[in-house]
Amino acid sequence: MTRWLARRALQAVLTFAVVTVLLFVLMRLTPGDPLQRLEGDRQLSAEAAAALRHRFGIDQPLSTQFGDFLGGVVRGDLGVSIEHYPTKVSTLVLSRLPASLLLGGTVLLLTFGIGITLGVYQAVHRGRRLDHWLTNSSLALYAMPSFWLGLVLAWFFGIRLHLLPVAQMHDPLLGANASWLVRAGDVARHLILPAATLTAVSLAAVMRYQRTALLEVLRLDFVLAARARGLPERQVLWRHAWRNALFPVVGLLGLWLPILVTGSVFVEQVFNWPGLGSLAADAVSARDYPVILGTAMLVSAQVLLGGFLADVAYYALDPRVRGA
Amino acid sequence: MRRCFRAVVLFSVLLSPLAVASAAGQEATREETVVIVVGQEPASPIPTLLGNSAANQEYTDLLFLPLARLGPNNITTGDKDFIPQLAKSWSRPDSLTLIFEIDSRARWHDGAPVTARDAALALNLARDSTVDPQRALLLQHIAEVTAPDDSHLVVRFSEAYDEQFYDAVYHVSPLPSHLVASVPRGTLAQSGFAAAPVGNGPYRWVRRIPGQQLELTANDAFFLGRPGPRRVLILSVRDPEARINLLLSGSADVLTNVGALADVTRVSADKRIRIIPVPSFSVGYLSFNQRDPADLERPHPILSDPAVRAAIIKALDRRAIVEATFGPWSAVPEGPVPQLSWIRDAAFRPAPADPVGARALLRAQGWTDSDGDGVLDKGGKPLALGLSYPSQSAPRGQMALQVQEQLRQVGVRIDINRLDGPVWSERRNRGNFDIDFASSTMDPSPAGIVQSWGCAGRGGANKTYYCDPKVDSLLGLALHAPRKEALALYRQTVRTIVADAPAVFLYAPTTPVAVSDRIRRVEIVPSAPWSALWKWAPGPSR
Repeated sequence: MTRWLARRALQAVLTFAVVTVLLFVLMRLTPGDPLQRLEGDRQLSAEAAAALRHRFGIDQPLSTQFGDFLGGVVRGDLGVSIEHYPTKVSTLVLSRLPASLLLGGTVLLLTFGIGITLGVYQAVHRGRRLDHWLTNSSLALYAMPSFWLGLVLAWFFGIRLHLLPVAQMHDPLLGANASWLVRAGDVARHLILPAATLTAVSLAAVMRYQRTALLEVLRLDFVLAARARGLPERQVLWRHAWRNALFPVVGLLGLWLPILVTGSVFVEQVFNWPGLGSLAADAVSARDYPVILGTAMLVSAQVLLGGFLADVAYYALDPRVRGA
Repeated sequence: MRRCFRAVVLFSVLLSPLAVASAAGQEATREETVVIVVGQEPASPIPTLLGNSAANQEYTDLLFLPLARLGPNNITTGDKDFIPQLAKSWSRPDSLTLIFEIDSRARWHDGAPVTARDAALALNLARDSTVDPQRALLLQHIAEVTAPDDSHLVVRFSEAYDEQFYDAVYHVSPLPSHLVASVPRGTLAQSGFAAAPVGNGPYRWVRRIPGQQLELTANDAFFLGRPGPRRVLILSVRDPEARINLLLSGSADVLTNVGALADVTRVSADKRIRIIPVPSFSVGYLSFNQRDPADLERPHPILSDPAVRAAIIKALDRRAIVEATFGPWSAVPEGPVPQLSWIRDAAFRPAPADPVGARALLRAQGWTDSDGDGVLDKGGKPLALGLSYPSQSAPRGQMALQVQEQLRQVGVRIDINRLDGPVWSERRNRGNFDIDFASSTMDPSPAGIVQSWGCAGRGGANKTYYCDPKVDSLLGLALHAPRKEALALYRQTVRTIVADAPAVFLYAPTTPVAVSDRIRRVEIVPSAPWSALWKWAPGPSR
């Protein structure tokens, strides 16, 4: 077990190193001038532009920039944002991380909680009217662009009914002396629309995975044997069949873990949710290299971690993997 | 349908405790607060020193007070049209000296009195080319700035000209010398002052959350009066739809630029919102590269011919393009003259499009459709040009399509290059374009024309490499002439530029600013939009 874990961890670290190098090189090969946004409508003089290039080290040869970047990464210093100078990248990323974790965590919880429940329900009641209806409606939601659905929900619940806030993570007008309960309620209200949007468009995948996996398991002999032994149907379903139908969903969860930090760029923009997704999108359009690299590294680490955790879960759940 | 209605009602009931919980903590301050939604974040609203984006410049007015402001006519010559602010009065002992008397009632937000030394420090910092090279160039005619005592500021100029006063007061507001003087000049951007600036204007700095919001609170010690809105929140929202949603839902009070015509129509439909037209200092134009993008030492193979440029301008129905894109929210400018410029000729009307004349002009230059493909050619080369614009600008994209279609009808093929902002900017700076669709915010002084259209600006702000020594000469004369003569000279300069056809001057926009009807006594000064916000009177929430 320890050896297997160490091997997988080493693979993840090596992959991360390669991805980091690729990210740095590709970023610098992308056309576009990071100083354009600083310039705004008014023209910078050549001296001012040169001074700014020197400030951010982008007047140095690529090899020097890369060396400085690696040195910084080793020291835990991801550099200073060009767009938000003199704020450090790590400060920016950490300031946006809670919003991303909140939105991503809520979406993961809702998507997998509701998706697994509905998938199991559909498998058990396959062929019935509700099964067809759930399949069709979830696929319809899946086919909708998230930003479009977000705009529709914002219009209906925010502008038409004045029921929910249409943007931001909290009400900026909330008094400084507001209690934690009021603050939590405020964040919860702001969370509803972006979380509902992302959950609605992602639900279908989990439902389909769970339904298909459970249908396959329900046909297997050991389920028949469990029923033949006279076990209650609930026990057959949840204790025997569902546990074995969970592997594909666990794999899917591993792939979806990055949503915890990235959220959805489009949904974050539509709802002005202050997460890492919108930070990364803004950084890309401003060619804010240090912030792009910082967020991209975080996402790649998350992807690798998700894959690693899924493997560990497989290892723990499935004896066949341990034997392999 | 009934079930759906029930579901919505149930959902509403479930949410109501959250709504009540949220409302409980905010009612005390909501009515007194003005929430402004902007697209570009004012990250460093500090005069002089920290970057020079339009957003930073605009919001500086909430924190810092200048010596004097431009008057309603935006006349930059002389001193008669300026409105006293921090300077109680001024005098002119000779043609090279201006003396300002600082209002003794003025205080910095930390309680220290505002003195002439503060004004001298800011002007001297701005004149330092290592601190702010761009402003140093604008202030090149200022020879010396001194503060003989706390209340008198003496500005000496190297030559006599009519915009001395404008140069002394417009570009820089005073900075607190007791906080800034000790900071090494090259490190001011990283200083504690930059992180939490101390101003002398109607609002104090509270906090900034990078990329999200800036919070200011009323300065009760503001010597010109008690600010009406007790708090100002500036929310940075990049997505245009999110900005409009915040306004329509009542979460925001002001949207600084509603944007496209369809959005203006949509926002106007809400009776609780007023749209206020604010003329701007911006001009949008299609500039013709006069150098070959492949080798800037050579003339452009097509656009170096002034007759071809003139034919393209002649072929375009500028009024139709602008009306279709902006409706009444923009005008066709005579040349590089924004709506707010005091040299603008209000009687100017753009010439109607003349596609027949344009074709004749091109034919006279040897451009004919020899192969019948609808595109003119000469010597086997088609009359094909690329038109670049930044993808972030939806109006420019819309106009580019109209330009393409109108020019197709005279046999000119336009290949539209919709480029990501930084890529567009990079290509533009390198001269890698045929026709560039740019928009620039100009200085109130018409002398600023020299930056984009003067020979000295080539390779810098002058991206097209256009150069007519006559234009430079006229601008030089205008700068040193008294107002009436200067007006005539500036207008002659504009006509000369237009005759040379370096660009299609397409639109001079008026910004549609949306304001909630709960706010009364709204005054937006076009040259300094938020300078009068402290006089607004916010009312009960909608």
